[in-house]
Amino acid sequence: MASKTLLVAQREYLENVRTKTFWIGIFIVPVLIAAAMGVGVLLQKFKEVQRYAVVDLGDDGLAERAEREFRAKDVKAMFALGADLMAAAAAEDADPALKALLSGLEPGAQPSGEQMYAMFQWLQTQPPDQVARYEGIGNSARYEHVSLDELGLSGRTAEEQAKALGKLVADDELFAFFVLGSDPLRALDDFRYVSNNLTDADLREDYEDALTALVRADRIEDAQVDDDTARRIQETVGFKQEKVSASGEAEDVKGEDKVNQWAPVGFVYFLWIAIFSIANLLLTNTVEEKSNRIIEVLLSSVSPSQLMHGKIFGIAFTGMTIIGTWVVFALLAAWLAPALLGDGGGSLGFLIAAISNTSYLTSFVLYFLGGYLLYAAVLVAIGSVCNTLKEAQNLMQPVMTLLMVPLIAMVFITKEPNGTVAKVLSYVPIYTPFTMMNRAAGPPETWEYVSTSALLVVTILLTFKAAGKVFRVGVLMTGNPPKLKEILGWLWRS
Amino acid sequence: MDSALKLRGVTKRFGAFTAVDDLTLTVPPGCIYGFLGQNGAGKTTTIRMVMSIFHQDQGAITVLGAEDAARVKDRLGYLPEEKGLYKKMKTSEIVAYFGKLKGMDRATANLKAKDLLTRYGLGDWLDKKCEAMSKGMGQKVQILGTIIHDPDLVILDEPFSGLDPVNRDVMRDTILDMKREGRTVIFSTHVMEQAEKLCDEMMMIHKGRLAFEGTVAQIKAGRDQGIRIEYDGDGAVLQQLPGLDRLNDDNKAAELFLQPGRDPQDALRWLVERLTIRSFDVREPSLHEVFVRTVEERDAALAAAAGGDR
Repeated sequence: MASKTLLVAQREYLENVRTKTFWIGIFIVPVLIAAAMGVGVLLQKFKEVQRYAVVDLGDDGLAERAEREFRAKDVKAMFALGADLMAAAAAEDADPALKALLSGLEPGAQPSGEQMYAMFQWLQTQPPDQVARYEGIGNSARYEHVSLDELGLSGRTAEEQAKALGKLVADDELFAFFVLGSDPLRALDDFRYVSNNLTDADLREDYEDALTALVRADRIEDAQVDDDTARRIQETVGFKQEKVSASGEAEDVKGEDKVNQWAPVGFVYFLWIAIFSIANLLLTNTVEEKSNRIIEVLLSSVSPSQLMHGKIFGIAFTGMTIIGTWVVFALLAAWLAPALLGDGGGSLGFLIAAISNTSYLTSFVLYFLGGYLLYAAVLVAIGSVCNTLKEAQNLMQPVMTLLMVPLIAMVFITKEPNGTVAKVLSYVPIYTPFTMMNRAAGPPETWEYVSTSALLVVTILLTFKAAGKVFRVGVLMTGNPPKLKEILGWLWRS
Repeated sequence: MDSALKLRGVTKRFGAFTAVDDLTLTVPPGCIYGFLGQNGAGKTTTIRMVMSIFHQDQGAITVLGAEDAARVKDRLGYLPEEKGLYKKMKTSEIVAYFGKLKGMDRATANLKAKDLLTRYGLGDWLDKKCEAMSKGMGQKVQILGTIIHDPDLVILDEPFSGLDPVNRDVMRDTILDMKREGRTVIFSTHVMEQAEKLCDEMMMIHKGRLAFEGTVAQIKAGRDQGIRIEYDGDGAVLQQLPGLDRLNDDNKAAELFLQPGRDPQDALRWLVERLTIRSFDVREPSLHEVFVRTVEERDAALAAAAGGDR
């Protein structure tokens, strides 16, 4: 008996696995993910340099200071990151210019504005790959300041300048231009930013930040507030994030922890896609087998339940091959990442560490199996009563609607992995795999794993039984698909 | 074993509709047996019950001596009316797959599949996918898949439909080969000439009930003799033949039935004056005639019974 089920399963498996499209499909997913990760970085890299100009209505050199402040911001970010910049400067063969710049600066000490600007100018002289090492600089490398001299506009009235610059913006010669107000100590309402690109706000926002800092400093000075008071007034509140270990001790939150918290969301997406695409394979395959009339030949040799189980298990092996390949990719990535990305690999390293987290991976594989078996039984029953894919798609609609729930609930569950919504959904068997995967960062208590899994397994067995009854009747039916009432009738009768 | 297949009082209902009603029949071993009947008469349902794809509501089916047909499934071969193949599988693979499903071991099935395909002229197609084949070739592959495991009882549902004359001959020879090898072959057909020529015995089912069963001679016994002619000319005049009871006109040939007491010689004389008669033959009625008459008689009887009920 069992050997016939196995034969059917084997045939299903080979038919899927032997095709080229199957393997292309398997490989394309990790490649797409890698590409999606890389594309953001690349887009930023290849973004065209945005040229801008500044018209200053005032006469105390605000434009020049703003420009410095704007550039210095990047260098500050660079220093925050850049312990290795210090190390580079300390090296024997370091660039003498860098050495000179950083001499006398203790590691961790805040460089002066002048030093920072000097640093910025030094970095501009470095080859681009060198510059790109200091991420902060990447952003301001995207913006190029064009002086009014270069544009031949110096010496004209501000009004003429603005008009000429407007023309340049309209002609796409300039990305944008700023007009700095005449008296920032008193009023800020004549500060203007002119550009035809309204979506890319980075330049404007960064410039606003730089100017806010300058104007604030000027006003403090103007009000004759002493430095100390000024600093205290301007101080912002920032919580230091901590979490609690199992024993109740407070621990620092690392970037890694955040990634770990959110990683299950990625797994849920994957789970959803995997369960659906693979269970769908079963649906199309059943409808196809039914519509090309091979099913009756098969039924003369195997029983309907052998056929159904064979199909479900065959496709399950297919799915496991896909999942297994992905898991291998994840582990490979985790293994290769340190070598490729250098020490820890930064944020990408955290992500890869989360992907290759064994408890996540194990949950993923097991919940894939559970979820697949449950949905496979439903879909194979649907497939068995349909003669065309179109009919099957119609019958699939209610199932798909039910299935949107875990996707919608995903963010809530991530924020509250042990909240009421999460707990309730864990006990709805059709959502158990997604919800429990989603809660993996919680993590749920062991008894929750046990009880929800038990419920899931019982539901799978019952669904298999019901699907078997529908399959037996449905698979030889032709004509219109039966009404739900009729299907329920089959379940009661036999 | 006194029978390859025995049905006793078998009934199958689908909801309110009775597809097969109290059917009793015996198929002797080693013969070619025909299942006749109109579309929807219950032939396929009967076959599906024999193959234990459906289960009867009442009655008993004994297949190859076993009360439970599922137990001898591996000794049966079945070619359904609607035939399908896995398009993406190679011909040799699919034939072997059917063999394996019938319990053959891998190596034997693979070898036998190639052997059979080669023997039936598909040697060049062993490694080609089923989707590349013509309908006739596909049908051949299907029948080979049906017989690869040397079944003792082979059931073919409409094996000749859609085949060209050459492939019909191949199918016929395959059936004859199986009989010579001592297997029992049951096939259903709508083509009476085919059934008449091939079948040792046959049965006809009408609206779920057995209409007749037996050898061709037994079935025709007691039926009116008919006149078969081959002719040239306008067949419309045949209608005016004095004493004509019924007529099956095929344009170049016809089967005529005269009212009781009429002399065929008078009919011949009348016909010769009006048409070019190429042959004239007085003999038992064709199976076609028996079939059509049976349907008419039983429909009339059912209508009368329904009228009586009202």
